[in-house]
Amino acid sequence: MTGALLRVEDLVKEFPARSTLGAWLRRRPAPPVRAVDGISFELHAGEVIALVGESGCGKTTTGNLLMGLLPPSEGRVMLDGEEVGALSGRGLQRLRRRVQMVFQDPYESLNPRMTVAEIVAEPLRVHRVAATRAELWARVTGALTQAGLTPVDAYLHRYPFELSGGQRQRVVIAAALALEPSLLVADEPVSMLDVSIRAEILNLLSALAREQGIAVVMITHDLSTVAAYADRIAVMYLGRIVEHGPTREVLANPRHPYAQALLSVVPVPDPSARRTPVILRGETPDPSRIPTGCRFHPRCPLAFDRCPTVDPPLYQVGADHQAACLLVASGKASPRGLA
Amino acid sequence: MSALLEVTAPTTAIEPKRAWRSFLRHRMGLVGAAMLAIAVLLAVAAPLVAPYDPYAHVRVNILDIYQAPSAVHPLGTDDGGKDVLSSLIYGARVSLIVGFAAAAIALVIGGLVGIVAGYRGGWIGSLLMRVTDFFLVIPDLALQIVLVAIIGPSLGTIILVIGALGWTTTARLVRSQTLTVRERKFVMRARAIGAGDAHILRRHIMPAVLPLMLANMVLVISLAILSESTLAFLGLGDPTVISWGQMLNFAFDRGAVSAGAWWALIPPGLAIVWVVLGTTLLGTALEDALNPRLKRHHLEAPGTDVARDRVIPVHDAPRVADATAPILRVRDLSIEFDAPGGPLRAVDQVSFDLHRGETLGLVGESGCGKTTTALGILRLLPPGGRVVSGSVWFNDEDLLSLDGRALRAFRWTHLSLVFQGAMNALNPVSPVGDQISEALRLHAPGTTKAAGLRRAAELLERVGIGRRRANEYPHTYSGGMRQRAMIALALACDPDVIIADEPTTALDVMIQAQILELLGGIARDFGMGIILVTHDLGVVAQVCDRIVVMYGGGVAEENDAATIFRAPQHPYTQQLLQSFPDVAHPDRPLRGIPGAPPRLDAMPAGCRFAPRCPHAFERCPTERPPDYATDGGRAACFLIDPAEARP
Repeated sequence: MTGALLRVEDLVKEFPARSTLGAWLRRRPAPPVRAVDGISFELHAGEVIALVGESGCGKTTTGNLLMGLLPPSEGRVMLDGEEVGALSGRGLQRLRRRVQMVFQDPYESLNPRMTVAEIVAEPLRVHRVAATRAELWARVTGALTQAGLTPVDAYLHRYPFELSGGQRQRVVIAAALALEPSLLVADEPVSMLDVSIRAEILNLLSALAREQGIAVVMITHDLSTVAAYADRIAVMYLGRIVEHGPTREVLANPRHPYAQALLSVVPVPDPSARRTPVILRGETPDPSRIPTGCRFHPRCPLAFDRCPTVDPPLYQVGADHQAACLLVASGKASPRGLA
Repeated sequence: MSALLEVTAPTTAIEPKRAWRSFLRHRMGLVGAAMLAIAVLLAVAAPLVAPYDPYAHVRVNILDIYQAPSAVHPLGTDDGGKDVLSSLIYGARVSLIVGFAAAAIALVIGGLVGIVAGYRGGWIGSLLMRVTDFFLVIPDLALQIVLVAIIGPSLGTIILVIGALGWTTTARLVRSQTLTVRERKFVMRARAIGAGDAHILRRHIMPAVLPLMLANMVLVISLAILSESTLAFLGLGDPTVISWGQMLNFAFDRGAVSAGAWWALIPPGLAIVWVVLGTTLLGTALEDALNPRLKRHHLEAPGTDVARDRVIPVHDAPRVADATAPILRVRDLSIEFDAPGGPLRAVDQVSFDLHRGETLGLVGESGCGKTTTALGILRLLPPGGRVVSGSVWFNDEDLLSLDGRALRAFRWTHLSLVFQGAMNALNPVSPVGDQISEALRLHAPGTTKAAGLRRAAELLERVGIGRRRANEYPHTYSGGMRQRAMIALALACDPDVIIADEPTTALDVMIQAQILELLGGIARDFGMGIILVTHDLGVVAQVCDRIVVMYGGGVAEENDAATIFRAPQHPYTQQLLQSFPDVAHPDRPLRGIPGAPPRLDAMPAGCRFAPRCPHAFERCPTERPPDYATDGGRAACFLIDPAEARP
């Protein structure tokens, strides 16, 4: 296999905490929020990776870092050998053509005053890629066709409010495809859509990866929506990847207790499925106060004496499969995934 | 988007066509526009329509002064012996020129200040807004008088002074709109595409700001005209031109009152009123149509929610309640929404029962009528929505016949609601425990404050928050805790039925699991009935005993949960299940349902699902299928009609 398209190396993003009056009076600056705390992964062309986690796990910040919308605090994002965070001006413009984003809310992410044609043409105009009107038109119709909005003529002059949620999300995807990107970052691309529409949008994204070699980073809180579409899953907790591996491996044989719990509570459309959900108590801690040792230990049902002191790295637990848990390292972990 | 969504979910941006329609509905706005148009026409055509030229130099004849209205001078003559009607018509020119020019200046200044302050923000924004505040608090008129008196009263000076002092409201309006648009997702998307500030301002900010500025301009015009008239009346008008204020000034100064020459005073006064009223009416209507902030929220002030001529099913007289009878019986419930093209039916002949201790799932895609059904049962329909037929029996009481007071008493004590977005449902300025206690005491007036708070603490304990946090404010709660607090609030008066509308939709899976576990426990422990409205089949599978699948406003299928998931009968249910992802079987290919749910204004005549149904045959597009009995339930599909041979 050739080199990776995207390489994320030890990425860290800290946001300065809001200084409150109380903190200022006590002369104690609030600790910064460490939204992303050292994550690394690689992505090849045509591959789909899912970043899965609950809110506050840093998945959306990671997406923004990949897009170059935020500068990283440490580490770097390399796209085809170029460092994303180091680019500015013209270089950043060029990068933006190669990395495009699909947003969560298709109702909000389209300007209600623009027609479909104007929306899809917008990125082409911004980057001045089409030399002639005919070329612009050809690329707009091409992108709409790829996004499955056919016959194109029926959509070109319509406004977003005339379209259904699924059609709007296709328009967002068409606008992203217009620049022929090599990487798509899709942040919860289907969570606002009806169930009957989700499959079509997910099928579309995975077809784009398979047939056009576009690499896709799918960011979601819902393991079930990526189960059938992602090649790999990275489970995130409090800014770290705690488990990472091929989709089937992670789903069948999750090794990190958090991944096991997360998987056990995913609703399954089968009331007869007898599962024992591991419902974690409490909520994800505040990323400005990350627990010592293993960051999951206060909520972990399997925590033992070493967990509060040792911060586990990712241990290799199988081919291409890693988990950051001391139980895995000591060989104590009992796989409890769904068979 | 379906028409129902348009009714229940007002968008923050107004599409051009819709704004135009909304403006046309505004009769006063049209009247204002007509009034202004007449003034503009007269001003433009002044030399043609005015009987005399008031600027022409004629020798004043003492007999011409203050002549009463006559055939020669329809509005009489003024102190200079000039024709009042002609002066009035020419005066319109000055008033309107000052109005438009000053408003243009105010708009340019206010627009620039507002956009820069809103888009750039930071210290520049703060500085600009402090300057705006300063201009807002100084008294306009006094400053205008001083400035005009110092610089000297010429038309240009007056325009400049009025314009330079009249931009503050525009600036504030434009800034707030810019701020709103800047934060919207489509602007973020444009940034992600790689668009620069110039592009974003031109393509996204300006189109959203300009309509508001247009509406605002009309109002600024009326203020400018008023200011000009005031200045001229005070003797600070340009002495070389005729304006309405000037006419009043001369008439007052030169004895019109003592001469009893009302015709020199009243017409210019009325003319000022005419134009100011016209522009104000027009401006208010435009603002209404173009400013999304002024739209009414859909939970405000419901109108008549039950039609007077509601059809009550005859076969459904109240029965004697026994222990096994359903606690809630919904019968043939139909709900319509007002729409420009006639009422749209959002819920059509929906019937189901709910027993004590049972959790019923009301499932379907957006626009299928599930939320409207729930709101109809609770009598909380948005304005424009009406129950047109059917009944909702709670034991032996028809909820739809209750009047306002009885309904309010009924609502929290017997039937309460947990809805989506608990963030907005708790009052931010009062501690959570107080809010629960307040709800309790409202419905049980005998309760003491201490008893109320004690009960609130118990309830919070029950929903897993812990009594220690009863004194805290909602903003210190996380999303999951707020939803728990909402559940505690719903439990406050020990209701018999809870309707939960998408209670977990915005929550993370782990929190969702916690909330569902809680709801299940409550149904078990308290023996109450729960109606769970959701689009998520996984949620339903986890907690529901019975399931009602809705499609296009009607019930497609009903059965107990196990049977629905094991052997769905209606093709819609079958396809919905196939499109639902299942982590337990990641290799099963997911199929979406091609096409889209029907729009309310284009509901198929026959089976509502026929256009998307793979099994549709000749009966389906023409006949509406009735409910057929299935094993343990019912389904509205001709495929299970015993008269049809199964294909």
